[in-house]
Amino acid sequence: MSVAKPLPHDAARLHVTGTARYIDDIPVPAGCLHLAFGLSPVARGRLTHVDLAAVRAAPGVALVLTAADLVRPADCSPSAHDEPLLAEDEVHYAGQPIFLVAADSHLAARKAAALAQIDISPLPAILSISDALAANSRFEDGPRIYGRGDPDAELATAEIVTEGEIEIGGQEHFYLESQAALALPQEGGDMIVHSSSQHPTEIQHKVADALGVPMHGVRVEVRRMGGGFGGKESQGNALAIACAVVAQMTDRPAKMRYDRDDDFTITGKRHDFRIAYKVGHDAQGKISALVFEQFCRCGWSMDLSLPVADRAMLHADNAYWLEHVRITSHRLKTNTQSATAFRGFGGPQGMVGIERVLDHVAHVVGRDGTAVRKCNFYGAPADRSDQGALPPGGAAASPQSISAKAIYNGTRTPYGMEVTDFILDDLVARLESSSAYAERRQAVAAFNAQNAVIKKGLALSPVKFGISFTLTHLNQAGALVHVYQDGSIHLNHGGTEMGQGLFQKVAQVAASRFGVGLEAVKITATDTAKVPNTSATAASSGSDLNGMAVRAACDTIRDRIAVFLAERTQSDPTDIVFADGMVRVGGLEMPFAQAAKEAWMGRVSLSATGFYKTPDIVWDRIRGTGRPFYYFAYGAAVTEVAIDTLTGENRILRADILHDAGASLNPALDIGQVEGGYVQGAGWLTMEELVWDQTGRLRTHAPSTYKIPAASDTPDIFNVSLYDTPNAADTIYRSKAVGEPPLMLGISALLALSDACAACGPCYPALDAPATPERILAAVARARGALP
Amino acid sequence: MHNFEFVKPSTIADAAAALAGDEAQALSGGQTLLPTMKQRLAAPDTLVSLTGIPEMQGVCIGDDGAVCVGGATTHATVAAEAAASFPGLAGLASQIGDPMVRNRGTVGGSLANNDPAACYPAGALGTGATIVTNSREIAADDYFQGMFATALEEGEIITEVRFPVPEASSYQKFLQPASRFALTAVFVAKYADGVRVAVTGASEEGVFRWTEAEEALSANFSADAVDGLSVAADGMIADLHASKEYRAHLVKVMTKRAVEAAS
Repeated sequence: MSVAKPLPHDAARLHVTGTARYIDDIPVPAGCLHLAFGLSPVARGRLTHVDLAAVRAAPGVALVLTAADLVRPADCSPSAHDEPLLAEDEVHYAGQPIFLVAADSHLAARKAAALAQIDISPLPAILSISDALAANSRFEDGPRIYGRGDPDAELATAEIVTEGEIEIGGQEHFYLESQAALALPQEGGDMIVHSSSQHPTEIQHKVADALGVPMHGVRVEVRRMGGGFGGKESQGNALAIACAVVAQMTDRPAKMRYDRDDDFTITGKRHDFRIAYKVGHDAQGKISALVFEQFCRCGWSMDLSLPVADRAMLHADNAYWLEHVRITSHRLKTNTQSATAFRGFGGPQGMVGIERVLDHVAHVVGRDGTAVRKCNFYGAPADRSDQGALPPGGAAASPQSISAKAIYNGTRTPYGMEVTDFILDDLVARLESSSAYAERRQAVAAFNAQNAVIKKGLALSPVKFGISFTLTHLNQAGALVHVYQDGSIHLNHGGTEMGQGLFQKVAQVAASRFGVGLEAVKITATDTAKVPNTSATAASSGSDLNGMAVRAACDTIRDRIAVFLAERTQSDPTDIVFADGMVRVGGLEMPFAQAAKEAWMGRVSLSATGFYKTPDIVWDRIRGTGRPFYYFAYGAAVTEVAIDTLTGENRILRADILHDAGASLNPALDIGQVEGGYVQGAGWLTMEELVWDQTGRLRTHAPSTYKIPAASDTPDIFNVSLYDTPNAADTIYRSKAVGEPPLMLGISALLALSDACAACGPCYPALDAPATPERILAAVARARGALP
Repeated sequence: MHNFEFVKPSTIADAAAALAGDEAQALSGGQTLLPTMKQRLAAPDTLVSLTGIPEMQGVCIGDDGAVCVGGATTHATVAAEAAASFPGLAGLASQIGDPMVRNRGTVGGSLANNDPAACYPAGALGTGATIVTNSREIAADDYFQGMFATALEEGEIITEVRFPVPEASSYQKFLQPASRFALTAVFVAKYADGVRVAVTGASEEGVFRWTEAEEALSANFSADAVDGLSVAADGMIADLHASKEYRAHLVKVMTKRAVEAAS
């Protein structure tokens, strides 16, 4: 079986030899037009005069379009139909496309776009969370509130009440391949679109809508992306629509790729958050009540902000039993880029909120953070030897058995889902042991006692991440598998490849079902004409959904071959074995290729579709109750850092990670995802800083001003292991989703920095993210009581 | 980028003659000028390359013991060839930008441009270097005249820079990690007749000497000597990467680090 093997990425050789083909590498037909947008320099205002004469007269320009020139309105929104391709009367953020240039080269289009004369009468721009609150500028009527119990009453009687607030910055996706699309007009008004998109069906849907044709008139193909991270879920729509509209108007191919500065300036990023908290707890750090207020900056259009903000609420518990809790979420509309999906989809921000609470509580009660975390875990023993009292309400359910004395924390999330697969007690214990956590905690304390300038910090943080789209109907997938008469296999499914290794993992499933080697399986580009009505490759669901759909398709073909061969040998088709490249049934044994050929000769269909929908999930997002997730993926990380207390400079010295990928389909690819997720998460919370100026222009729009972690920023000691245990839920070969969860392991880096700051004085450092040197220096001053 | 003519003379005299033409611009390593031209913030008619002039290349020791660097010598060459004679200067050169910048960019180009966050201005001012041009010699103290402003006349070429070698020195740079420019950096050099402290990256006026620290360190060359001093935030740069208060704070920290590294 090829599943569970640590095989390299299927395109690794193509990647490193530069022969993997991306949109910009596709040879274009003669006469191809190249597109560029002209952008608003103003965050909010009314278009008073748009003079594009010089743009139209520029060399090589074939066509210039404003909103008024479009035959029909073109909308780019994945949700609320509130994103016109080109600004109509008002501009809503600095960077919004106002006009579109089509020219005979990329350079000619960009040069021409710079010649526009645009007059905008500025209006007061709403830029910050505070601006939006003051103006009551928000999506949905008011804040959304989830919770249970009576947190206010519990806070009133809590032994200790701790309050605080954290600012959490956004994050640029910084996929190496910027957004790109290519539209090829066909006969009869049909359109083929190549798009760097995680969501080919949405591209198809939005392009068809913009062209005024049924979806059958548009075919979208995606071979691969050079990175997506959620940034190519909705943000590719504008380019694909622009290309298709121009191709339809001119009957010429049209291609568009964003220059990096334009990509930064136009596209949405991770939502930045402010999270305020008020927590009641005892002297051991056991939480009795918690109130969160999450403020989420959504940008100018709705995009995916509602489900992102929902997921932040759904991860406000992380791994902890919160009996009395209220989570209030404000989805604020601002004149900035439309914040969008980003690996974790709001979950990371929610999780930073609760981990900040645990960090603060541990500081207040003077206990080790890991001990405080463990006593708040779902299902943890709640018996406090100093009191021995029942927990408030006495309703805590036991995960295993209730002994006479032991009382356990509850196992139900604030949204009413029972946590039945909680493995963090064991996982964290193993990580504490493998990372020598206790010894290193002492070593850090000893180091800090002897060093005045350099302080070290150590932190362990767990991850519990819900797997499934919270929009329940998206949890479906399709596949198309052909077996040719020579035994070779054509594999297609609705998932997209963005470097994460999905195609290889799914190909391993197909090869395992037929008992053949991977060389027999051809991985093919995602294509809306082969598998229709797909969901975005998002929510970490790619392998779970598409692996199952492919398994179903393969098994359909396998069963047909089995029936055919069993009939010939007078045996039971259920006894057939596909293994080691051979097919065995009755006394018969033949190579798979021969079985395929004989089945074809016997007029057996060797093509099948497969379909899968996740069972057992139900979710009411307005009430905030149900079972939105099929299961949880877990992990934990221990990070050790050092800071220079004179400057705030910092380094991650070591990271130890134990991550739960269930029974891994491919440990090499999964460890790659864990390593990359940790580094991207730590980058978000430490060095990646987006800066908008007072007029709302994004000032960090290139690698010269925005720093992402590089290979050299990974910790020198970086121990990553998989918690190799089958998924309790019936997933593909009992594996678990691994795309998003490891990003949140990076939270341990922020917590370790907070720990180092806390070593400088008696006060809580209240370190915001990203923890840049300047913020760390301020946190050191707060720890010393020198700043409020 | 607009079209331009390109000439590559092999003598200083020919280069000076070429630069006398209308809208002519000297090109050394091009690490600032070419991106500026691509942005169309500069549009010279003629680029006069200074990289084909043998007498403007290389590192040698002058009669007075100064390290003399040809104006068109790259940072990588200085980092390698001054390592033995002037490790503080070689250290500065080795921290500039990335390998491409170090292998293309030149000392003359850096000083002529005088970017407020560039490294070489701190090295030149911190050593009291002599900037030698095709027509005169300019003391570093007279040379730097504010952000991107220098004493150079139109068409004047930096042919050589003479760095007096100190008894001890160090360049301490707080890196802006994205651009790899100095967020704030300090060059400290101890000479028999006193200490010089030059700060780059911090001030709206470009590179400057922190004279209070120089006095304190001339009396007592130890990091403690500046403990009682402070740098005012007024006039410091506030931008997307740091506040003026943070930069003012870093001036002192980097100065102390440089003294410790030098002694």
